[in-house]
Amino acid sequence: MSNSKAYLTLVFAAFTLFLLLGPLQPFLRETAALTPFYATGVSLGKLMGRPCGLLLYVASGLQSCFAIPWLGAGLFTILLVAVAFALKWAFRVSDAWFGLCWVPSFALLVNFTQLGYLIYTLKHPAVAFADPLGFLTAFCLMGLWYRLKDWQWKLVFLLLVPTVGYWLLGFFGALVAPFLGFCELAIARFSLFDHPSEKRGGTHWVWGVLLFFVGCLLTAFTRAIIFPSFSYEVGHLAFTNAQRDFRIPGIIALVYPSLFACFRFRGKKPWMTTVAAVVFAVAGLATFYYSFRDPNFLNILRMKHAAEAGQWEQVLKIAKTGKEEPTRAQVCLTRLALFKTGRMGDELFTFPEGSAAYNAPQNQWLRLMIGPLLYYHYGKLGFAYRWAMEDLVEYGERPAYLRYLHRVAQLNGEEALARRYERTLARTLLYRLSVAHTCANQDADSSSIRPLLNYTDQLDGDNGLVEFYLLNSFALSEGGSREMVELSLMDGLITKNLTGFWSRFLALLPTWEDHIPTHYQEAALMVAQLQGGAPVSNLPIDPVIQQRFQRLVEASARNGDNAANAFALRPEFGDTYWYYYFFVEGLKTN
Amino acid sequence: MKVKVSIYCIVATVSTMVMLLCGCSPSLPDQYEEATWQLPPDYFSPNNFGATLPPNVAPLNFRIMQGDASKAVSRIHSAKGGEIIVGGWDVNIDEEDWHHLLDKTRGDTLFCDIYLKAYGKWEHLPTQHFLIAEEPIDPYITYRLIRPSYVTYEELTINERCLENFDERVVYENMRFEDSDQGQCINCHLPRDWNRQKESQFHVRQALGGTVFIHGDQVTKVNLKTDSTLSAGVYPAWHPTLNLIAYSVNETGQVFHTLDPQKVEVIDYASDLILYDLDSNTVQHIDHTASEFESFPTWSPDGRTLYYISAHYTPRAENIDADLDANYDQLHYNLFARDFDLQSHRFGPRRLVFDAEAIDKSASQPRVSPDGQYLLFTLADYGQFHIWHKSAELWLLRLNSLTPDLSSLTPDPSPNGEGSSYFFSCILAPQVITPLSIRRGVGGEAAPLETGVGGEAGADSYHSWSSNGRWILFSSRRDDGNYTRLYISYFDKDGQVHKPFRLPQRSPDNDDLLLRSYNVAEFLLQPVQPTERQLRRAIKSDAHPATYTGSALLHPEADSTAVLPARPAEERRGESIAY
Repeated sequence: MSNSKAYLTLVFAAFTLFLLLGPLQPFLRETAALTPFYATGVSLGKLMGRPCGLLLYVASGLQSCFAIPWLGAGLFTILLVAVAFALKWAFRVSDAWFGLCWVPSFALLVNFTQLGYLIYTLKHPAVAFADPLGFLTAFCLMGLWYRLKDWQWKLVFLLLVPTVGYWLLGFFGALVAPFLGFCELAIARFSLFDHPSEKRGGTHWVWGVLLFFVGCLLTAFTRAIIFPSFSYEVGHLAFTNAQRDFRIPGIIALVYPSLFACFRFRGKKPWMTTVAAVVFAVAGLATFYYSFRDPNFLNILRMKHAAEAGQWEQVLKIAKTGKEEPTRAQVCLTRLALFKTGRMGDELFTFPEGSAAYNAPQNQWLRLMIGPLLYYHYGKLGFAYRWAMEDLVEYGERPAYLRYLHRVAQLNGEEALARRYERTLARTLLYRLSVAHTCANQDADSSSIRPLLNYTDQLDGDNGLVEFYLLNSFALSEGGSREMVELSLMDGLITKNLTGFWSRFLALLPTWEDHIPTHYQEAALMVAQLQGGAPVSNLPIDPVIQQRFQRLVEASARNGDNAANAFALRPEFGDTYWYYYFFVEGLKTN
Repeated sequence: MKVKVSIYCIVATVSTMVMLLCGCSPSLPDQYEEATWQLPPDYFSPNNFGATLPPNVAPLNFRIMQGDASKAVSRIHSAKGGEIIVGGWDVNIDEEDWHHLLDKTRGDTLFCDIYLKAYGKWEHLPTQHFLIAEEPIDPYITYRLIRPSYVTYEELTINERCLENFDERVVYENMRFEDSDQGQCINCHLPRDWNRQKESQFHVRQALGGTVFIHGDQVTKVNLKTDSTLSAGVYPAWHPTLNLIAYSVNETGQVFHTLDPQKVEVIDYASDLILYDLDSNTVQHIDHTASEFESFPTWSPDGRTLYYISAHYTPRAENIDADLDANYDQLHYNLFARDFDLQSHRFGPRRLVFDAEAIDKSASQPRVSPDGQYLLFTLADYGQFHIWHKSAELWLLRLNSLTPDLSSLTPDPSPNGEGSSYFFSCILAPQVITPLSIRRGVGGEAAPLETGVGGEAGADSYHSWSSNGRWILFSSRRDDGNYTRLYISYFDKDGQVHKPFRLPQRSPDNDDLLLRSYNVAEFLLQPVQPTERQLRRAIKSDAHPATYTGSALLHPEADSTAVLPARPAEERRGESIAY
């Protein structure tokens, strides 16, 4: 390998690994959780019954390796490197121009890294690996065509690729013959351009026409007769019109190779290397720029993964260190972690509050990302199961959904059902390892969830508004276990519904022993002030809190309007329930 | 010389292959001990042993739990001669050998001996058996594959499966029109007369909606919704001889349990019955009373009686939906019937056939056996959508007689004065009700099966009779309480139900990894004729609107909804029929 080739390869590999294993590592893990790959003959058999089945099976198998990020990232990098080398091989690009061959690889990299929130809603089993694998195979087939000498073999190629190719590779198999037809016609028509096959003239016309028209006809025939319900695009990562900007990398990967069909990229002159290197660098910068590195998105994923591993302190650590205004998903995960660690009453209002918009087109992102997780941990098992199932119906048999179906079935005592999900999860290639890891926490989870199941079942609906439903269901509930009463108390405070405050507060009072959690002390003082008649003097309220409340009352009387108070009092009282009650408004609970 | 070498090569290759094949073929151990340990309930998957099989069914492949053993050999054999030996944990039986053996064993017992090798010694498990019936089963079934979902739906298929082998084909798949603005739901593929005349129907909802009628390779689409009816046709019942279909029309909603593992309730907030005339493309009301929720119609084999379920609903609040959501478990459906005049196409007054409410139960999905002797239905604690109810079980109602004593009938002039009509009320008085212990095992015994197929309380719900009345196909969630699988039971001449077997699969993984439910399964005597392309073309075309023409009752003004006992259920309990 020449030096320039080796350098470019190393730079590309380093860049890709840095991007994937650095900022995007949580994204890789989440992608693995959303990859429906099951290593069974039945799964393969079912996929083989449709076009592109083989490619999707292999691609989703490789993608599931993201469960071990370094392995998945390594495989992905190797694949993208192979795409560049295949392009070079197919069109006999010289070493000097090799930098140009990396553009499709960069495009395919950003085709995946740009997705962000869309990984939840794209109904494709292998969003990362399918396109690179498809293009790699297509480039290899193109290279093979140019190396076929005998017309008989070319004829076999012409018959097999559009038919068997469409079956095994879907869109990428269907693409090869028309693309090669275009190349042959380009050679025949634009004879001023030299071409890798080194021949011009009549045979190119003949093969061009045959490849283009017969190829298209054969694919159309195969599709119509054998796979009438599938589109020609099957296997290719497709976007809706509303997501059309996401199509650009795919289009680049598709159209860019036609340059190599029309123009000759040979020679060894230094300027060629320089031009190619510049193109390489621009493609790399564009890839980095367009990769979705939204801090809130990545933090939600980090918090979610920590929560699924039962690492609640880690959830809180991430919540504290976030620099942006949090989304509701982050706020909900923070509250859950505080509840799990028993610090809700002391610290809930000290954590960042906010309702930053998700950096994605409008959707129920909170429900899609953490809906089943929240419902499961708050003991609304029916709804956890429901949303995991609804998403499984809509987006496929992703292990991420099976995990909650499995856990709910276990807590429900549906042993046979739990075993079915367990067996299915056991057929995942690597995701099962991460499930096994988190299963270790399942007993702890179960023991913390069981006290929340002490309520009468009812028929209900949440319209997909997870936080709103959870807050209201606890805020409006009565009785239950100690944990449920505390959630009622806290969610009543969060929703600023103070009805029933005293009954819950007094019910919990004996359980607090020598320390009433800070926020409940704050609330008691405030409610007594607002509603009067409460026996605050008999309660063991910390004098420091009492003095602080007094200062708040005096300061708010001094400052005037609400907006001015909100600004002025935030530094001193921003970590209190009082501040939340009086000045935090307009938060969207979704 | 070259020729000689080639011949030697061929001979050598063939002999090597033969030797390899011989080496691989399983053989029974010469020496073994009888196993003394207790087989766990899920030792075989699926555990169909003890079931009665049709002589033309596909091989009942199964998996043996490996445990500590290192080798397994199974020998399936008949007292009438013939055997099949299969090695390995997945017992995949050769189709040709199986059919040959079954054919020999008609009316007799098929045995299965399983030998396991553990720690160098062979053990013989207790001999298992199947009973092979004389009567064949209809060769095909049709069903919908659907996820046990709630509101969303994605890929749905109406499939056809050959019971004599493992061939399965998709009759129609809803994703054909996935580019439409709306999704497309498909349901209720129901053949007429077991598809003897290649007639069936199914519904398409939302995108390009309508009811699709198949007649041979002709396909038409009709819009059964009229301004005067609640909805388009829902649960269908083909008249056995006339070009008529009775449908329920339903306003259905779903609500979700927060905790109960039954997970979802599918509630009708209103429902009626209609009669659709295929020749005139007209719709008439059969039952149209706001306080009665009628549903799931079905005809007697002679076409003279329409059975259906109905619940009486007295609104307790202004908001009916909220009221029913809060009191979903108070809605009990009873079985009713109306006589039908074949000449005038008019229905007589309704009569109570089975008072489920009186025993705090709710009946649904009645189906009459082809000989008219039995009414098979699903009984659960409340409601009518029993697929989600863990208490749902199949029950059998023995009808007195379906052959009316014509001499006792008095002619009853039809309302329009044309010809005469005959109503046979009171002839079908219910006599015996027995719980059909399909779930538990052999009919009549309420004890759990020794080698049960699962420990879950599993809703046994939708069911259908084979054309010869000897086989009952029913869906059940007995395996895990969530995913519906199909089971088939032999129903003998004495009215006894035999232990069912699960729909045969090529590999046990097919059922194990299939996270979908089998839904609305029906027997077919022959395949559905139109190709997917023909169906797609018809579905793309505009639906012919049906016309509403009033009531199909003989005396619509005197509709006998008052037949519903006026006394509260607790008072009637003492009078309930023996069960």
